[in-house]
Amino acid sequence: MDRSETIAVIEKCLTEVLKHEVTGLREDLRLFDDLHLDSTSVLELLMVLEDAVGLEIDPENLDMDDFRTVGTLADFVERSLDGAN
Amino acid sequence: MEGSSSAAREDGRYLRRLKAASTGAADARLVFLCNFEAEEQWAVGHTGLPAPRFPVSAALVRRMEELGATLAGPRDVLLLSAPLDEDFRAHARAAGAALPEVLVPERAAGSASTAQAVLDSPRALAELTRLAAEGAWLMPMGTSPLEQRVAEVTGLRLAVPDSATFERVNSKIYGRRLAAEAGLREVPGECCVQVGQLADALRSRYPAMAEGRPVVVKDAYGVSGKGLVVLESPEKAERLLRMVGRRAERTGNHRLEVVVEEWLPKHCDLNYQLTIDRDGRVEFDFVKEALTENGVHRGHLMPSRLGEGQVAELREAAAAIGKALYADGFTGIAGVDAVLGGDGVLYPMLEINARLNMSTYQGGVTERALRPGHVALARHYALTLDAPCPLDRVLGALGPLADPEGDPAFGGARLVITCFGTLNALAGESTGAPFTGRLYAVLFAPDRELLAAADAAAEKALSRIASRGEPS
Repeated sequence: MDRSETIAVIEKCLTEVLKHEVTGLREDLRLFDDLHLDSTSVLELLMVLEDAVGLEIDPENLDMDDFRTVGTLADFVERSLDGAN
Repeated sequence: MEGSSSAAREDGRYLRRLKAASTGAADARLVFLCNFEAEEQWAVGHTGLPAPRFPVSAALVRRMEELGATLAGPRDVLLLSAPLDEDFRAHARAAGAALPEVLVPERAAGSASTAQAVLDSPRALAELTRLAAEGAWLMPMGTSPLEQRVAEVTGLRLAVPDSATFERVNSKIYGRRLAAEAGLREVPGECCVQVGQLADALRSRYPAMAEGRPVVVKDAYGVSGKGLVVLESPEKAERLLRMVGRRAERTGNHRLEVVVEEWLPKHCDLNYQLTIDRDGRVEFDFVKEALTENGVHRGHLMPSRLGEGQVAELREAAAAIGKALYADGFTGIAGVDAVLGGDGVLYPMLEINARLNMSTYQGGVTERALRPGHVALARHYALTLDAPCPLDRVLGALGPLADPEGDPAFGGARLVITCFGTLNALAGESTGAPFTGRLYAVLFAPDRELLAAADAAAEKALSRIASRGEPS
């Protein structure tokens, strides 16, 4: 999965969680402040991400930094996929 | 501004009643410790939904302790992790707040909580020991082991129950069981304490979910908006079950303390407060409309638009809840979340927050500024900043809305800031990087239309001082 595909998956997942169309994400957009993700929707996002990329994520081992921006979340997904392969 | 102060010189009726119920004496001297983080302490050792442990708002939640400033009386003491801003003092005094004596523990910097800072600070402990000898009481938002330790070390009597009692009565599982025993109309649902029970509870609802009736799973010890997930489809429920199942296998801990409830279509959320005095007498204090988004609290509108019959039903529920809490060893203030369903059915007990609530702390400001027949909105404004923002800049942006006389453009609507420390609470954590702060306020207006217009104007004015992003 290349970077643009990873971002596309994140857009698809955010669309499902936030219940509105999310497209054209810039990597520096902040998930909480700019996209209005909140503590409730983080768990939902993780569940959707698991399904979308076939990952198993342990929420309790996550670092806040992974959820700072679209870019850091993409890094996290790519790292997790590398680790899983 | 100090010269034009209209600050009260004695406790208002609301505070006197709170003191009488909690201590037996309306003129008691209270030491306020507004530990909004208490719920996280009660949650320790209870397994809830899997959740990332984001310490994002710890510093911000802590600074909500300043909300005690406009409730406490002139003889009371407020423990804070940082002094009150001088401009905020002037603003609060102009709104009629007497302001308590503020005590900042000398080792507050870098401490995890204000109670811990007190315990680490010999001079603060000595001062509190002196106050205890003079008969003062400790009034935490709720007692966790830390506040209990402060009481034990200083000799301050607790104006509220002990830590174990708070932990017991603040579980959502406890609340549902209490409602069932008291015969209150419950939101259809059930309590789970094991992963297998959650699976059974969810799977029995798949046909209903497939027909468009979602369920919500809430942590027994979830804090406002955290620890809940709404499941609209069996597929989503299975995702959650996979996640909790995996964790249980990995840790060997199959406990899971949650409640599962139907996610009802609703007309509005409600919040009411009751006070249980030391002799078990229960008083219904008020009911407000609660503004929530996806389960996250956004503010309160008062008075509510409920009819007399609906308020009477809430009064009855408050009496039953108060009686049951008292029988379980709890006294003091409890907030109760209720919901008026979309079908007009009132569900009088969604959740009990047996502790002081946001509404409790706003009581002083509301008592002084809410005129008969007028309306009020208590909320916070979120501002994204890249440097600390002084209060005069906030007041300058708000213009006449923040004046004691109010803004003639909105029928004299007026905004009173109830907590300023939260605006810049996260500034120290990021050097130059944007941070989001919160400005807590109560807005007063002659009617709902003017209130909404004044709120929109306040939001727009504040967005101009935000460095980037939109206020939310």
